Amino acid sequence: MTAVPALEVTGLTVRFAGLTALDAVDFRVAPGTVHAVIGPNGAGKSTCFNVLSGVYRAASGSVRLGDEELTGLPPHRIAALGVARTFQNLALPPTATVADSLLLGRHRLTRTGFVAAGLRLPSALREERRHRERVREIAQFVGLGDALDRPAGSLPYGAQKLAELARALCMEPSLLLLDEPVAGMTADERRRTAAVIAGVRDSLGISIVLVEHDMGVVMRLADTVTVLDFGRRIADGTPAAVQNDPAVVRAYLGEDAEEPS
Amino acid sequence: MSDAPGTTVVAGRGAPPAKTALRPAWPPRPRTYLWIAGSVLLLALPFYLDRFWLQAGLFAMAAAIGAIGINMLTGSTGQLSMGHAFFLAVGAYGYCAFAGDGGDELTGLGLPTAVAAVLAVALAGLAGGLFSPIAGRLRGAYLGIATLALIFIGQHVLFNAHDLTGGFNGRDVPPLNILGFRFDDSELVVAAIPFGSAEKLWYAGLVLLAGCALFARGVLRGRPGRAMNVIRDHRIAAGVMGVPVARYRAAAFVLSSMYAGLAGVLLALVFQRTVPDYFGMVLSLEYLAMIVIGGLGSVAGAVVGAAFVSLLPQVLTRYSDALPLVAESGTGGVAPGEAARYLYGAAVVAVVLFLPGGLIRLVTRRTAPPKHPDKPTPGTPGPSGEER
Amino acid sequence: MTTFAELLLNGVSLGSVYALIALGFVVIFKATEVVNFAHASLLLAGGYVTAVLHDDIGFWPALLAGVAGAALVGAAVEFLVMRRYRGRDHSVLAIVTIGVDILLVTELTRRIGTNVLAVGDPWGDAVLTIGSVTIAETRVAALIAAGLLITAFLLVFRHTSWGVAMRAAAESAETAALMGVRLGRVSLGAWAVAGGLAAVAALFLTVFPTPGLERSTSLAAMKAFPAAILGGLDSTTGALVGGLTVGVTESLATGYQSDLTFLGRGLGDLAPYLVMIVILLVRPAGLFGTKELARV
Repeated sequence: MTAVPALEVTGLTVRFAGLTALDAVDFRVAPGTVHAVIGPNGAGKSTCFNVLSGVYRAASGSVRLGDEELTGLPPHRIAALGVARTFQNLALPPTATVADSLLLGRHRLTRTGFVAAGLRLPSALREERRHRERVREIAQFVGLGDALDRPAGSLPYGAQKLAELARALCMEPSLLLLDEPVAGMTADERRRTAAVIAGVRDSLGISIVLVEHDMGVVMRLADTVTVLDFGRRIADGTPAAVQNDPAVVRAYLGEDAEEPS
Repeated sequence: MSDAPGTTVVAGRGAPPAKTALRPAWPPRPRTYLWIAGSVLLLALPFYLDRFWLQAGLFAMAAAIGAIGINMLTGSTGQLSMGHAFFLAVGAYGYCAFAGDGGDELTGLGLPTAVAAVLAVALAGLAGGLFSPIAGRLRGAYLGIATLALIFIGQHVLFNAHDLTGGFNGRDVPPLNILGFRFDDSELVVAAIPFGSAEKLWYAGLVLLAGCALFARGVLRGRPGRAMNVIRDHRIAAGVMGVPVARYRAAAFVLSSMYAGLAGVLLALVFQRTVPDYFGMVLSLEYLAMIVIGGLGSVAGAVVGAAFVSLLPQVLTRYSDALPLVAESGTGGVAPGEAARYLYGAAVVAVVLFLPGGLIRLVTRRTAPPKHPDKPTPGTPGPSGEER
Repeated sequence: MTTFAELLLNGVSLGSVYALIALGFVVIFKATEVVNFAHASLLLAGGYVTAVLHDDIGFWPALLAGVAGAALVGAAVEFLVMRRYRGRDHSVLAIVTIGVDILLVTELTRRIGTNVLAVGDPWGDAVLTIGSVTIAETRVAALIAAGLLITAFLLVFRHTSWGVAMRAAAESAETAALMGVRLGRVSLGAWAVAGGLAAVAALFLTVFPTPGLERSTSLAAMKAFPAAILGGLDSTTGALVGGLTVGVTESLATGYQSDLTFLGRGLGDLAPYLVMIVILLVRPAGLFGTKELARV
């Protein structure tokens, strides 16, 4: 068992053509906890994820995962360190089967190259078989066990989001970034997804960073919360403390803050 | 890499890994019969067809190999290439240069022809690799424009490097000779049919095509293929999932160059002479037309499209008197070659607009199993699931 | 030195013609995100109309007809083909334009055959001499015409509602549509304008010192592709700079051919592509192209 490292974000600043999307943001995610990043639309939550996963370049500041500095690395190197993420808008090829999408999640854990795959070398077949089994387990864990052979695009939206979550889990991450995992889901799907996320935290012991608008889910799952507004951190702490923070209430102006559960 | 943390927990919740329900191996599916019948037919054709059609068939096989290659790049990885004629030329001329004995005063290393063929394919791969700083970093149609350069570089070298290419007149292609078996017109009679170069090459072509198709299928269904598809569908997701996007794009480019190189070798062997004019822009466009018409991203589609595009002019030439509107070239009407271009140009447009997935979709749609209309509810195994 | 000045001047003039073609190409890309591989055939269509009509109706009306014809062909391609595509993959649309290109080029080259068609321009082979520098009048005319058209185009692009709509569509098609921009019209307009610009370019690619319109004219027109991509596909400035770069490169490479014989004949046709490769190696998005935010 590898130890799950802490995530330390300090002074993270991102600028696009003069616009400051993130302004000196700090937060820390302790190993094995769920940390939520919330804020109104345009607060910089998704930008934050894009920097954490290496898609965007930071102007300054640092993102450290254990001993590794992530800001200089391209996405695939960050993935190799055990950082997995899902996307706010689905990034699941609609025609590929769920099994193939999940197997893609195994990419970093597998080695088969062009020659081995083309010639169907025994090593490739063995690897494929072993990882297909693991993919099946993970699919069953999120409740998609019987959807493996179907094209992802034929599933309902909620199931597709779950498939994307499963794909991220297939990477066996030590840090999981979930970008609005329950957005667009029915109440039932929300409940299920929240249960899956809680299950991941409890059983795998990995760290999770969550961007989410659904305050019910945030309050239920998160151990700590960072609130962003216009790229700045306006609050940070436990869900209960943040909820009563006047700055947060002002930022939301009664939008989401009125429906905590 | 064995499984990371949490295996036991996750496994504990799900059912024990269920075996996929395998079809019994016997009796075989109707599809298997189709394959057997098709193979027998292909193997028997040299006994019945004349040289014209055998050559046409060989062109189609060579084209199919090249098309499978470019389909892995354009269809499966989403990277457009207009420069594949260049790699075909590298294969064809590379073979001549490696195998030539210098008798025609052109550069020739005089290597055994089989070795020359392998080296020619490797050379095409190398040429593709040299282009990788661009092939890896540019995406989609951008790469398509950049690869136009390859056509012009190719034409320039073919016309100017006289010692290597023979310039405008091209050069002769040494016949293939594998362990003393010569693929030329030397006398060989099989079942009362004289076997010339076309008959012998037919079988070599079939073996090569089958090998290339199987290799491509393995790649596309395996780990590299999944990575290539996600680069095409969701570039950013690909990187985030740990796929080194630039490296995979470059690798797909190299692989497709090698396929093109092999297609070039086979074409050279069939033509028995290579001329620079052939390896121009039109050839690259033909290959793109093949994969679009047949079906982007599909190995079988590439083969079907290659057969369509490369046999069309031959069919039109052979039957030009019987066809309306098509006249012999030089008589002012529509020449067979032009008629073929109208047809496949229109086919490209029509397929993209009205038959996404290409001709191959027509076949697979019939044989594909019906989709289950029922929605799976996350968390509850369906009644037909493997937990039954 | 005189030779150099002449080559440079010729190159700039030729480059301004390439810039015209590249500009149309970039306009289509900005409006619809489609890389139009049929662009060279639009040019050939415009040139063909001018060439066959000038004897009967005179040069200027024929040129107008050529511009209108190419604009019409462009609009027809947009309306009959591009608009019918229901998918979202723009690379697939680029391949459709290849199909269109195959159709148009086959038809036009069949009509042209092995002939070289004169376009009946008023300049003929007259030359201007300024000091010790001699330049063909056609080149001066090309430079002036291209300069005027490009200026006019940029003014339209900046200041008319069509230009604003187009730029909005280039930023985000979805948002533009929500703001009431009719994407269909924007895209139709882009194709028509691109066709018209290409037809003017066709004229200047086929006048002295070129013998006239022939099959290979579309090959010359294809130099607008490296021009557009080395400048940056989504930048009108890039199209201008790219066009000039390609023109000057070609002119110099052709002019100093005799000093570079070891590189083989026909270097002028190759040089623009080599320059493109070098620039793409350093800047994959081209000189003025928008660098992508995503680092994948």
